[in-house]
Amino acid sequence: MNKKEIISIESISKIYHLGDNVVKALDNVSLKIYENDFISIMGPSGSGKSTLMNIIGCLDVPSKGTYKLDNIEIDKMTDSDLAKIRNQKIGFVFQTFNLLPKLNAVQNVEVPLIYSSLSKSERIAKAKNALNSVGLGDRFDHKPNELSGGQRQRVAIARALVNSPSIILADEPTGNLDSKSGLEILKFFDELHKAGNTIIVVTHEDSVANRAKRKVEIFDGKISKDE
Amino acid sequence: MERFLKMNNIFQNIAIGLRAIKSNPTRVFLTSLGLTIGIFTVSIITAGVSSIDKEFEKSMAYYGNDKLYVSTWPWSFNFDWWKYRNRPRIEEDNLQYITQYSQYIDDVSLRKTSWIRGSYGNTASWLQINGVYPSYQDMLSGTKIENGRFFSQNEWDLQRRVIIVGATVRDGFFDGQDPIGKTIRLGGVSFEVIGELKKQGMGMVPGGTLDNLVIMPSTTFKRILTRWGFDELVLKTRPEQMAIAKEEAEMIMRVARKLKPDEENNFAVNSADAYKQQFDSLKIAIAGVGFLVTGISLIVSAIGIMNVMFVSVKERTKEIGLRKAMGATSRNILVQFLSEAVTISIIGGLAGIILVKLLTLALASFLPVSFDLLLIFYTFLVCVFIGITAGMIPARNAASLNPIDALRHE
Ligand SMILES: Nc1ncnc2c1ncn2[C@@H]1O[C@H](COP(=O)(O)OP(=O)(O)OP(=O)(O)O)[C@@H](O)[C@H]1O
Ligand SMILES: [Mg+2]
Repeated sequence: MNKKEIISIESISKIYHLGDNVVKALDNVSLKIYENDFISIMGPSGSGKSTLMNIIGCLDVPSKGTYKLDNIEIDKMTDSDLAKIRNQKIGFVFQTFNLLPKLNAVQNVEVPLIYSSLSKSERIAKAKNALNSVGLGDRFDHKPNELSGGQRQRVAIARALVNSPSIILADEPTGNLDSKSGLEILKFFDELHKAGNTIIVVTHEDSVANRAKRKVEIFDGKISKDE
Repeated sequence: MERFLKMNNIFQNIAIGLRAIKSNPTRVFLTSLGLTIGIFTVSIITAGVSSIDKEFEKSMAYYGNDKLYVSTWPWSFNFDWWKYRNRPRIEEDNLQYITQYSQYIDDVSLRKTSWIRGSYGNTASWLQINGVYPSYQDMLSGTKIENGRFFSQNEWDLQRRVIIVGATVRDGFFDGQDPIGKTIRLGGVSFEVIGELKKQGMGMVPGGTLDNLVIMPSTTFKRILTRWGFDELVLKTRPEQMAIAKEEAEMIMRVARKLKPDEENNFAVNSADAYKQQFDSLKIAIAGVGFLVTGISLIVSAIGIMNVMFVSVKERTKEIGLRKAMGATSRNILVQFLSEAVTISIIGGLAGIILVKLLTLALASFLPVSFDLLLIFYTFLVCVFIGITAGMIPARNAASLNPIDALRHE
C-alpha cells in the first residue's frame, strides 16, 4: 500500500483519575490511518471508542503518547490551529446529533461556516446546498424539534460536510435511529468514501461495521483486532 | 482583507450574542435595570448641577463682579448666629470714611432692605424694598432702567415717594401694562412708579426671583416705611481691583469702628466671589452624592451582568462545546460572550437615555436637561466598559472550556 498516511497515533493513553480510582479509557493504543480509509471501530460499552474518536477529532487530548495529523504533532499546535483543523479538516457526527435547538436547519448547518470567514450569502448558499445533498431541501426552516430523528442526523451530517472536510468521524451515528433511517445515513458514508473521504465510524452494529473496509475492535482501552 | 474578515467574524459573534439575548428578554431587562438607573441618575445630576450653575451665574450678575457689600454678617450657608448676634448694625456714617479714605472705591451707596406687603387695587404681594442713594443708579447690576427713570438727588433730598419697580411688579400688579405714573401702596402709603427695571429671571436669592424688587430713596424708606430694615453699604470698584478694594474697605471699616488690632471684625465685606466659594462646595456635595449613587448603581449592575453571564455560560456549556468542535476558537467564544454582556449593558443604558429623554420632555421648564449626542456617546462608552468588565470573567471561563468536557456537560 502506498496510500498517504494522514493519522498516526503512537502509544497513546487516556487516563482518568476519579478519587483513588484510575480509569484507563485508552491504554497504549497505536493506530495508523490512511487517506480514503473506511474504518469501523467496535467494542463493548466503556471500552474507549468514544475516547479514541474524540482524540482523533482533536476534541480531547491524550494523557500520554503522540498524535500526528498530516504529520504534524497535535501537541505542538495552538488553540487557533486546532480550531482550524476542526473547522476545515474534520467533520464530526455525534450519536446525539448535538444540534442547537434554537436554530433552524440552515442556521445549524451554517455554524462551521461562521468560523471560516465567508460572507453571509455564501454561507447560506453553502448550507442549503449541503442540506439538499442529504435530501432535506424542503426542511430549511425547521428547528430540530420539528424534525424526525433521521432528519436531525441528516442535518448533523450536512453540518459535518458543509466545509468539505477530508476526514469524517461518526460516533454511533445510527445508534439513535431505526434501521431504515440508519440505512439512509449509511448510504451517505458510502458515497463520501467513494468521493475520496476518509471515514471512521464507531458502531455497535455489525451491519454498519460490514460496510467498512477496515474493522478495528477495542477492548478495555486496547486495540484487540485490526483487519 | 484579513482585517475585514476578522471584523466580519466579530459581527457574527455579536449576532450570536444578540440571539441569546432575544431568547431571554426578561432576564436582560432585569439585569440592565441597574444601568438604566445609573445612567438616569448621572444625567439628572449633571443636568441639576448645570441648571443650578445657570441660576447661579444669574445671581452672580445680580450681585455684580465689581461690587462689595459691607454688611453685618457674612454671606454664608453655615451661618453661626450665636457668633454674630451681638454685632452692631452698619451705620450710614461709615460711608463718609470710605469715600474720604478709599483709593479703589469709585462709588458708594447705602442700601436698606426690607420686606413689605404692597398692593395695587385688589392685588397684593410681598415685595423686597431697597432704600438707596441716587448714585445707586450706576450701581445696578444684572439689570438696568428699561423704562422711565431713576430718582434724582432732589427727590432723595425731599424724601419723595417715588419708586422704581422690578418686572414682577409690572406683571403682578399691572398685568404687563406700562406701570409708569401708576400708584402702588406700600404699608398703607402711596408711591408713584417712575421707573421700571429690566427682567432678570430666577436666581439663587431669597424668594427665588430677582425681579420682585422695589427701589426708592433711602431717605423716604427711613421716614415713611420703617426705621428698621437691614442696612448694607454697597461699594463699587472695578472687577480687577476686587481683592485689594476688599482689603482696603475692611481696613477703613476697622478704623471707623475703632477696632483694636487683636479684635475680630464686627462686620463683613461680602462679594459675589465669596458667595461663589460657598456655592461651589454645595455643588461639589450635590455632585458627590449623585456620583456616589450612580457609582453604586453601576457597580450593582455590573455584578448583575456578571451573574447573568455566569448563568448564561453555564446554561450554554454544551453549545460552547459544539461550537468549539465545529471550529470556534477560544477567542471566538470570548468575543461571543463579551458581546452578549456589552449588548445587555447597552440595552440598559439606552433605556436610561430614553427615560431621561421622556423626563426632559415632561419637565422641560423645570429641569433643562441638556440631552445631546455627547450624553449618548458617554453612555455608550460607560456601557461598553461595564459590559466588558462584568463579562470578562464569565467569558474567559467559557472560552477556556475544553471542547469535549463542554460537549459532555448535561
Ligand atoms: N470524563 C471522564 N471522566 C472519567 N471517566 C471517563 C470520562 N470519560 C470517559 N470515561 C471513562 O472512560 C471509559 C471509556 O469511555 P468511552 O466513552 O470512550 O466508552 P465507549 O467505548 O464510547 O462506550 P459506549 O459504547 O458506551 O459509548 C469508560 O469507562 C468511562 O467511564
Ligand atoms: Mg461512546
